[in-house]
Amino acid sequence: MSQFDILFEPLNINKLTIRNRIVSTAHAEVYATDGGMTTERYIKYYEEKAKGGCGLSICGGSSVVSIDSPQSWWSSVNLSTDRIIPHFQNLADAVHKHGGKIMIQITHMGRRSRWDGGDWPNLMSPSGIREPVHRATCKTIEEEDIWRIIGDFAQAARRAKEGGLDGVELSAVHQHMIDQFWSPRVNKRTDQWGGSLENRLRFGMEVLKAVRAEVGRDFVVGMRMCGDEFHPDGLNHEDLKQIAKYYNDTGLLDFFGVVGSGCDTHNTLANVIPNMSYPPEPFLHLAAGIKEVVDVPVIHAQNIKDPNQAKRILEAGYVDFVGMTRAHIADPHIIAKIKNDQVDQIRQCVGANYCIDRQYMGLDVLCIQNAATSREHMGMPHIIEKTTGVKRKVVVVGGGPGGLEAARVAAERGHDVTLIEKEEELGGQVVIAAKAPQRDQMAGITRWLAMEVARLGVDVRLGTSADTDLIHELKPDVCILATGGRPFIDQEAAWGAAEGLCVSSWDILMGKVVPGKNVLIYDTICEFSGMSAADYLASKGSLVELVTDDIKPGVGIGGTTFPTYYRNLYEKEVVMTSDMLLMNVYREGENLVAVLENEYTGQKEERVVDQVVVENGTRPNEELYYALKQESYNKGQLDNEALFAAAPQPVLALSAEEKQGSMILWRLGDCVSQRNTHAAIYDALRLCKDL
Amino acid sequence: MVFEWLHPVLIATALLLAAIGAVRRVNLWRAGQAESVDFVAGLIAMPGRYLHDLHDIVERDKYMSKTHAATGGGFVLSLAMIVLVHLLGLESQILAWALLVSLTLMFVGAVFVFKRRLNPPSRLSKGPWMRLPKSLLAFSGAFFILTLPMAGVLPEGFLSSSTGGWILTAVLTVFIAMGLSEMLLGMTWGGPMKHAFAGALHLAFHRRPERFGGGRSTGLKPVALDQRVLGVQKPEDFKWNQLLGFDACVQCGKCEAVCPAFAAGQPLNPKKLIQDMVVGMAGGSDADYAGSPYPGKEIGQANGGPLLTITEGLIDPQTLWSCTTCRACVEECPMMIEHVDAIVDMRRFLTMEKGSTPNKGAEVLDNLIATDNPNGHAPNSRTNWAADQNLPLLSDVKETDVIFWVSDGAFDMRSQRILRAFVKLLKAANVDFAVLGAEELDSGDVARRLGDDATFQSLAKRNIATLSQYKFKRIVTTDPHAYHCLRNEYADFAEGIADDLFDNIEVLHHTTFLNQLVQAGKLKLNPYKGGTVTYHDPCYLGRYNGEYEAPRELLRSLGIEIAEMERSGFRSRCCGGGGGAPITDIPGERRIADMRMEDVQTTGAELIAVGCQQCTAMLEGVVEPRPQVKDIAEILIESLVEPLAKELH
Repeated sequence: MSQFDILFEPLNINKLTIRNRIVSTAHAEVYATDGGMTTERYIKYYEEKAKGGCGLSICGGSSVVSIDSPQSWWSSVNLSTDRIIPHFQNLADAVHKHGGKIMIQITHMGRRSRWDGGDWPNLMSPSGIREPVHRATCKTIEEEDIWRIIGDFAQAARRAKEGGLDGVELSAVHQHMIDQFWSPRVNKRTDQWGGSLENRLRFGMEVLKAVRAEVGRDFVVGMRMCGDEFHPDGLNHEDLKQIAKYYNDTGLLDFFGVVGSGCDTHNTLANVIPNMSYPPEPFLHLAAGIKEVVDVPVIHAQNIKDPNQAKRILEAGYVDFVGMTRAHIADPHIIAKIKNDQVDQIRQCVGANYCIDRQYMGLDVLCIQNAATSREHMGMPHIIEKTTGVKRKVVVVGGGPGGLEAARVAAERGHDVTLIEKEEELGGQVVIAAKAPQRDQMAGITRWLAMEVARLGVDVRLGTSADTDLIHELKPDVCILATGGRPFIDQEAAWGAAEGLCVSSWDILMGKVVPGKNVLIYDTICEFSGMSAADYLASKGSLVELVTDDIKPGVGIGGTTFPTYYRNLYEKEVVMTSDMLLMNVYREGENLVAVLENEYTGQKEERVVDQVVVENGTRPNEELYYALKQESYNKGQLDNEALFAAAPQPVLALSAEEKQGSMILWRLGDCVSQRNTHAAIYDALRLCKDL
Repeated sequence: MVFEWLHPVLIATALLLAAIGAVRRVNLWRAGQAESVDFVAGLIAMPGRYLHDLHDIVERDKYMSKTHAATGGGFVLSLAMIVLVHLLGLESQILAWALLVSLTLMFVGAVFVFKRRLNPPSRLSKGPWMRLPKSLLAFSGAFFILTLPMAGVLPEGFLSSSTGGWILTAVLTVFIAMGLSEMLLGMTWGGPMKHAFAGALHLAFHRRPERFGGGRSTGLKPVALDQRVLGVQKPEDFKWNQLLGFDACVQCGKCEAVCPAFAAGQPLNPKKLIQDMVVGMAGGSDADYAGSPYPGKEIGQANGGPLLTITEGLIDPQTLWSCTTCRACVEECPMMIEHVDAIVDMRRFLTMEKGSTPNKGAEVLDNLIATDNPNGHAPNSRTNWAADQNLPLLSDVKETDVIFWVSDGAFDMRSQRILRAFVKLLKAANVDFAVLGAEELDSGDVARRLGDDATFQSLAKRNIATLSQYKFKRIVTTDPHAYHCLRNEYADFAEGIADDLFDNIEVLHHTTFLNQLVQAGKLKLNPYKGGTVTYHDPCYLGRYNGEYEAPRELLRSLGIEIAEMERSGFRSRCCGGGGGAPITDIPGERRIADMRMEDVQTTGAELIAVGCQQCTAMLEGVVEPRPQVKDIAEILIESLVEPLAKELH
């Protein structure tokens, strides 16, 4: 008996028994790189979830049924050809082997994609209206196209069935073709495919009938839909309840997946995959509303990350299945850990949305904190086996995400690990990042790592500065430096860092300086740090101008995250200025004068402020590295060939005679060069997994 | 001359008084309930039972076994010859010499008894038992001297021929009187020597004669549910031969020394319990009891009588609810007394008549009645754990080689890991098996141990009816408690439902079955890679069913050299989880599981191999840091060489 029993009540969808109530819902993986075929990487990614206990995975978000629904942009799965069938068989076997079930989402994306790739199709939509998120212009779909695509849906479903998958989910969400027909916002037709509700639902109905006719009654067919488009001219919750009931009453559907919010604008897109600024399960009420009017199980995902949360939702009966998709990206073994009474060992999703923001950039989905996710095919382990070789003394300097991950992995391998951190708190730059408004959940990344190193018995020395004497005293076999960096505000002497004319975003976020009344932030990086400093200062009452020489503040942040920053910054009347270089800062009486220059015209402007914040990234803390480099066997060098191949570093295999020096020395993370949290964690994992 | 008739009269008087005492004692036992016994066969078998079964247990303590053989054997021989020589006046020098030899034997034995009583361990009762070695020495010494003239060692009439002789005679007479009263009167009037008289008859009329000759009889006896009073309310409600058994106690305290509840400071001491039964049977108070008390309870407060309710004045119900039914006491008892039967008999009264099962007990029983599982889960959730296991259901397949009896671990997330591991092994070995699914009900183990035999019987009969619908060869379970019920207790209830069901099938614990598979080469295993491993014998697998070897052989098959605990095998210490003890939860000073973990820690083991979900739960309940706890099935799957798909059917 356990408090989580409700999670483990099996439930049938049609005749298919799902072993528990946890679903990994459909998302684009961007891994079907072989012309839309599910690759080994793809299969291993889903196999890991099944191995970890996930009840049902719905793979292949936006998998295409037709050749003119572009596939290459998101490397999505291509169901427009029978060539996919054997690939599905491999995928199904890999998941079924572990007791999991797997279905696939199938769709025609209509106007919701990009045409500038692959076969360069003309995009199509009921009324040819452009979609802003993808800058997607399109033609008005013709009757012939409509019937062809309906047939394509049926054939795609057949391929899923013949490939041994457990079902298909028709995507009528995220403004794909089916819900483009539904929504009066984009369907302005006056023929039988537009106008009345029944006409607008006709395309989806014909798809459903065709699919059902092709696959028979026993194969699972579900539909994912939106619970409210959140557009005044779109479908509201009542409309969508009516739609759900309409399809439900045909008796042809086996489940509904419900997502809150439309997403054909940047701002609504951010709702769909709620980042850490959202409350837990913000749109559950919409899914519960749909459940009221349908007779088949309802699945809902959106910011459900925690087993207690899942339990609460299920016990209250809002929905039948909870989607914990990002939760599985962060830890595909979440279910196993619940079952093994290791809830406190779950690597919990923090909602940083690194995964989905990469996807919207057309990059493969990765987890900010779990570098093994989607690298299972390379042998990156989610569960680290103890070494059968020599037990080493490992000293890690720096308790940021990279150093913590190195210490964790080395300790899991069974080595004797000491972790040295000069601050009184573990976390490194994540501590700073978590100080900004609505960014506190960032700290979850390093909190989990800190808990794990404590559980594994790592000797953690806080408030300790490492120097060569200390390292010599500890006599490590392997010394890993993850000493991070420091704000690079002295790149230009004219910025006046030496004279104290400017401060860093770290000083602001850590509260080392009092927020000014009238502040100019100069942000060359255009990612989180500058936006966070602006948001922080504005929330303290400062009047803020955020200036960048780049195209736009926050331009480096992905599609689900910059909107939530913008919501805050605009509301707090932060002025955002692009294309301006900071030339110099000088003092004038009580005030500071910042001199800006337009990159394109050379025109200069001055701002009279009382505080200048410069966000210009970091410079590596590399002093200790250079002090130790010469005495190490490997002169501090990494063998990139081995590293990139996920193979052990050759230096580990050196014989006693070959060792010239005192230790192996590696450095990783920002103390090499500024990259990001994922990069530091990935390097730590791939270096230490073979230690 | 005084001397010529004095000693025969003394002996005769003692024998007569002993006989009167014996009649009175027998009448105390006869107050108990009828139980049919084959008297003649029992009496014929008795010497053999003494020399083998009882002696085998005493033999575990070599010092005591030799001492007892010399003293007891010497006494029995001597008494027979004393009657011939000193009462009936048979004049034979050979007989006199023989008597001298046997008295010497007894005397030597008595010297060792004496030595042991110089600094006795705490488990031994003191009081009259401290007097016994002196009486033994007096008896054997005095009769030795008295016999010397008849053997021709001293001149005839030596003892009456001089003043010194008279004085010696007088002294001898005092010793003889002392010896005779201890050895003969004491035997039937309630002295320490009572054990010889009652013990001999107890062996002859034992309620579980199957135990003799190396057999094992551990299933509880059913309650006839149409009785006037269910269970034992007063001493008279015991069967007569149970009362007799209580009287056989020698107060050696071997039970006390192994009782986990006693060690944990819970108010139970099996020795005191048996002595309280004797007090109840004979009437009176426990004031004369000179052994260790129930922890936390004073001696001298308990009063009882054959017709008085035991739990009102004689025994605190908390004493009865402290028992884990681990049978360590029964296993150690040289007199083969059945403590657990007595405790459960009294619990039956408390539960079925009084409804006073303490703490969570009543709730668990209500749950069992309403939902057929102890924690009140929805009955149809029994199969939830297996939703992804594709297990064949008996209701579909009707016929199988092996029924996997899942037991209530089905509802517990920790235990489900054991179940899944076992299923994986069954599949890897290509075993033809099926489960009952939602048709399976709780085995009734907890209900029965908590004294609710009505619920147990109902569950048993319904499970038997379910089983009787299907064809199968064996039942295998990972739960030793269900294993015990199915193997040893269900057959009593099969009559009229499936009469010969249990004659034609085997019930096996999963370790036994897995061991068969491994030894037959059906499971391929890699060597174990971890550190030191110890094995904890579950009570219901070991002492209740005698399976000590299969789990060990399995571990050895992995190349594990088991770091045995001092208390292992038949001497394994209970985890504290049996008999409903975690449910009735009687407070003590420590937790039994903590003590068991200390046993583990002395071995330096990093892993405790277990074969019981309940033991797993109890041992994992011990705060960390502590070794890991895993069922043997879980250990095996880590080493399993997974067969290729084509090797499976």
